[in-house]
Amino acid sequence: MAATVKRGTPLTDFTNIPHSSASQPAGDTKRVKYAGNALKQKKASSFEEDLERLEEEIGHSAENDQKWARPALPAFDPKTTPIVFQQIDAEEAIYNDQPVVRLFGVTEEGHSVMCNMTGFYHYFYVQAPYQFEQYHVNSLHDYLDTLYPGAIYSIEIVSRWSIMYYLGESPSAFLKITVKDPRHINRVRGGFERGQVEWRDGNVGFALETTYDNIQYVMRAMIDTKLSGMSWVTLPGGEYQMTAEKQKVSSCQLELQIPYDRMIAHPSEGEWLKMAPLRVLSFDIECAGRKGIFPEAEVDPVIQIANVVSRHGDSKPFVRNVFTLNTCAPIVGSQVIENRTEKEMLMGWRDFVREVDPDVIIGYNIVNFDLPYLLDRAAALKVHDFPYFGRLVHVKQDMKDSTFSSKAYGTRESKVINIDGRLQFDMLQLIQRDYKLRSYTLNSVSAHFLNEQKEDVHHSIITDLQNGGAESRRRLAVYCLKDAYLPIRLMEKLMALINYTEMARVTGVPFSFLLTRGQQIKVVSQLFRKALQLKLVVPNMHQEGSSDEQYEGATVIEPIRGYYDVPIATLDFSSLYPSIMMAHNLCYTTLLTPEYLKRAGSTLKLGEDYERTPNGDYFVKSGVRKGVLPVILEELLGARKRAKADLKKETDPFKKAVLDGRQLALKISANSVYGFTGATVGKLPCLAISSSVTAYGREMIEHTKKFVEENYNVEHGLKHDAQVIYGDTDSVMIKFGPNDLEECMRLGQVAADRVSEEFINPIKLEFEKVYYPYLLINKKRYAGMYWTKPDKPDKMDTKGIETVRRDNCRLVQTVIETVLKKILHDRDVAGAQEFVKRIISDLLQNKIDLSLLVITKALAKADYAAKQAHVELAERMRKRDAGSAPTLGDRVAYVIIKGAKNDKNYERSEDPLYVLENNIPLDTKYYLENQLANPLKRIFEPILGMQQTTSLLNGAHTRTISVAAPTVGGLMKFAVKTEVCMGCRTPLTGAFAKGALCKNCMPRAAEFYRRQIDSLNGLETKFARLWTQCQRCQGSLHQDVICSSKDCAIFYMRKKSQKDVQDSTAQLARFDSMAW
Amino acid sequence: MLEGKLEQASLFKKLVDAAKELVQDCNFDCSETGIALEAMDTSHVSLISLELNADGFSEYRCDRNITLGLNLTSLTKILRCGNNEDMLTLEAQEKPDSLIIRFENTQQDRMSEYALKLMDIDQEHLGIPETEYAATVTMPSTEFQRICRDMYAISESITIECTKAGVKFSCEGDIGNGSVTLKPSASADKPEHATKIELSEPVSLTLSTKYLLNFCKATGLSDTVTLKMADENPVLVEYPLSSGHLRFYLAPKLDD
Repeated sequence: MAATVKRGTPLTDFTNIPHSSASQPAGDTKRVKYAGNALKQKKASSFEEDLERLEEEIGHSAENDQKWARPALPAFDPKTTPIVFQQIDAEEAIYNDQPVVRLFGVTEEGHSVMCNMTGFYHYFYVQAPYQFEQYHVNSLHDYLDTLYPGAIYSIEIVSRWSIMYYLGESPSAFLKITVKDPRHINRVRGGFERGQVEWRDGNVGFALETTYDNIQYVMRAMIDTKLSGMSWVTLPGGEYQMTAEKQKVSSCQLELQIPYDRMIAHPSEGEWLKMAPLRVLSFDIECAGRKGIFPEAEVDPVIQIANVVSRHGDSKPFVRNVFTLNTCAPIVGSQVIENRTEKEMLMGWRDFVREVDPDVIIGYNIVNFDLPYLLDRAAALKVHDFPYFGRLVHVKQDMKDSTFSSKAYGTRESKVINIDGRLQFDMLQLIQRDYKLRSYTLNSVSAHFLNEQKEDVHHSIITDLQNGGAESRRRLAVYCLKDAYLPIRLMEKLMALINYTEMARVTGVPFSFLLTRGQQIKVVSQLFRKALQLKLVVPNMHQEGSSDEQYEGATVIEPIRGYYDVPIATLDFSSLYPSIMMAHNLCYTTLLTPEYLKRAGSTLKLGEDYERTPNGDYFVKSGVRKGVLPVILEELLGARKRAKADLKKETDPFKKAVLDGRQLALKISANSVYGFTGATVGKLPCLAISSSVTAYGREMIEHTKKFVEENYNVEHGLKHDAQVIYGDTDSVMIKFGPNDLEECMRLGQVAADRVSEEFINPIKLEFEKVYYPYLLINKKRYAGMYWTKPDKPDKMDTKGIETVRRDNCRLVQTVIETVLKKILHDRDVAGAQEFVKRIISDLLQNKIDLSLLVITKALAKADYAAKQAHVELAERMRKRDAGSAPTLGDRVAYVIIKGAKNDKNYERSEDPLYVLENNIPLDTKYYLENQLANPLKRIFEPILGMQQTTSLLNGAHTRTISVAAPTVGGLMKFAVKTEVCMGCRTPLTGAFAKGALCKNCMPRAAEFYRRQIDSLNGLETKFARLWTQCQRCQGSLHQDVICSSKDCAIFYMRKKSQKDVQDSTAQLARFDSMAW
Repeated sequence: MLEGKLEQASLFKKLVDAAKELVQDCNFDCSETGIALEAMDTSHVSLISLELNADGFSEYRCDRNITLGLNLTSLTKILRCGNNEDMLTLEAQEKPDSLIIRFENTQQDRMSEYALKLMDIDQEHLGIPETEYAATVTMPSTEFQRICRDMYAISESITIECTKAGVKFSCEGDIGNGSVTLKPSASADKPEHATKIELSEPVSLTLSTKYLLNFCKATGLSDTVTLKMADENPVLVEYPLSSGHLRFYLAPKLDD
């Protein structure tokens, strides 16, 4: 009866898992559309319907469907016609033996552009030696020419400030050393730093010098021309030169050059917030692997390449096609391009990419799988002409290994492939960076973001489909097309292109840096831009500080744990760290060294001209000198305010998305400035700033707590004493006392305003929300209903509770979620207890769906020092069947089974499928004690107390258990099963041995028979529904289900259900042979 | 209604101690012939079969078949409350929700009563059918325990070879190897110290030391132990009781 018992709970309710329902038109039109075409209706899968509809819609509206090439370039006069384009990528290049920055971009009409920005020379600064005069310049130039022949372009004496420290008002003399070729700069710079420049005139000369402004050429050029990533550029008519057709190196429609100072870079504001119609190609390949081996490019052929191309801003992709090896039945809505040989297919695809000329190439794991595989495969087949699909027609695509390591994102290994002029935007990398998920397979990611499943065909089955007929290859092609289409949908849904574009515009770095570089480059870019404006130079610091160097972080007010059934007001400092830096003018340029203070202390007054931070550092006030960082932050936050204001006014959804992405980018950028000053292995660490920031933060939280508790109490005429029950970094939680939500909100608002007055502008304490009720479990662990208006709660909010962690099974997540919902939302503690008891009881009786018990972990490397459950299991599976065993990089799914006494966990991990097939008993106690117990205790203890919580986990409901009898195990093949009575479990012997019931239970035979039939019916219905669910997901109700997605809950449910039906049928059959 | 009285609690205590090494939760089947337990260990390599016949009890009564689902860890906790020499009574109602356990000391001046909550264990009933064994070895149970314990230090499996000449236990481990050979002997005065072999054909089995050592927890129940073996079949290790038996089956390790 498991099915009926569980259907009511949210745990196993499979009916509401949505299938492909991608932006379908209203149901009615659909029905009408298929009414006259029964045959078609039968065959078309939902995704195929999508494809078909796309063709119909586009086909009717424009003639451009499935037209690959870009619109033709109209004739124009370069003398008078300005060229306006959005640049998407910038790289360093040599043109006519001169260094240039090569910009790639697209005009608003959709023409591709390559523009060489000429005449920009790279430079750096070094402090001019004492008494260095103008007449020394030529002599130094000559000296450097002999040391570095042909390297130096010019030397200039300029006055600049170093960004480090406040050292008085007057600037110092610096030498700006400009080199001819950016590749020489590091040699010259290194020479100065190592003291190799031994030029000397009397007393004037260099020692070991610090150099200033170390930044790569492209960034330097972009900073100096005020060009930011993804921004618009105008090349005025007559200023640029078209490249002669013969000399063209690119496949762009417009290839030209312009001196860097003639180009107009538009700041990304107003009109220039728009986007060019970028062409986005999403593709996916399929390879035919051998059984049991992950496809290897040297051996296994590429059999299909599916492509979907859309123009940014259009809602529908205008090219959908699939290149197949061998024949393939036609697919409505998509071109099928059949190829006889792999070589033909690869070349066909290359020509396709060239013609469709995408600006952005996206896909899922293309950087580490699809692209390398294509390149390797082409090399293995000796198709030497293949790797030329960049915009530079003569540049071959190559692969390099790279390791990217960042504190924020962790260490990742990846491939780097140069596809000049086309951005690569791997959705897998993006999602791994920006979202924490249980699983990163395309399937589960689309389920998560798009509410859409796809079938997961194991790579060992693909070969079978390929070797079938045109129909089975068609099936594969549809699957492949869907894999190519999903990344585009994900990109749109997550607004990835828009958000990243805004991030590039705000921070000024090229788009490609955002995925390949860390956080620091973004701050560096802004810092250098501001420094240029203010004539500041940035010292080239050598990374000496170890990353272990620590400073005191934020404060956490010790939580007063418990369950609060009164409103808890939450006050937040908005943008705490940025506002501290602004309020106290904390910056590199305002930091006072103790030496300077000693020297010039008499001219500066503590409190008036400079102040001492709680950390013991000294900074001058903004009246003396305004810091650079505060200025950057002010601009960022100001821009964010404007963006948010515009966002409110804007009605166009597309522009809204851009503005929202922009304000988000601005917020992230503002917050990363603090981190930059504290990154000890960074470009310009300054712990005086970062530790002062946190010290101010701590002080403010403490002060807020004190203020609230002192001013909101009985003494001040209130009914209750306010109490700060918890506070973390930038927020405090206050129990004002009254039960009345509205009153608490009012108190919160007033308190926030009053506390704000205590602090320097722009520090502002904001009343944001009220939690009611509120469950405070521990530091950084709490849950509550979130109210912003007194009439109804906004949502349930949880922090640090086991709902997002990935190393536990899904049961924990669902149970915790439901329990919290019952406690907080429904205020039904008794109901929550009942629910927990029922779940525990179900668990011990093996009634919980297996998919909820599966734990997954990525098999990251082959040899771990300590034995781990998933690694050991992968090893055992390999011994059992090398074919289906997980390989490196796969996620291993496992469950914990019962083992011998004292067996370790890693000895008890088992493949869920193997468990299902062989009916192996699960270690339900493990799940109860190691998975469920602790999170449940944490939640219930503050509410119920220790005693009752214990009984929740060990009560009477834990005394009914069920143990499966497996079909494997040493003794099983010798054992004989004695049937037990279905009524009372006594073993059946003698005349009753073959039947279903014992003598005592016989009188109730009809009742038990009825029960068994009901149970079987229930199971059959459940199985039928699951099966059709899977068929719908795979897109055809007429084919066998081949999906084996380990991330899919339905998969295990379907397998289990299948088995349940078999078992139940067998049980029912026992009545047949009963002696009635 | 079940009522069974044992003269000495120690017998039942020892039986439960031996069983709890292999199983956690199991069903005791009570019928008019006595109390029986048949259960596989969790990894399904061994099986314990215990029978306490009705005549082994000083008083015994069971009107209809009753299944008692017990958690052996909890049962042990309660059994510790009585002394070895105490009289032990097990009692259960028709449709029991707990098992009553009573202790009475030899002076009959101290009586204690405990109730253990029962579990509802849905488990398949498995047994090993009677088979023909090629070799039967009877030996002192302490000797068997010593061999298992010694060899456990060296290897995780023991090979038992039985021929007319004697029975040879051998093991091979990473640190070295070892063997013990016992020859049939007939010491007339102390028959429990003798080793007896009945053989129809030579047998050799490789078994898990860990499990054998678990079986040895029953050593205190009987002076002798009988090993019954046939090629590629589970070994039967039997500790005879005065009325009833304690049998262990262990699947052989097969070369694969």
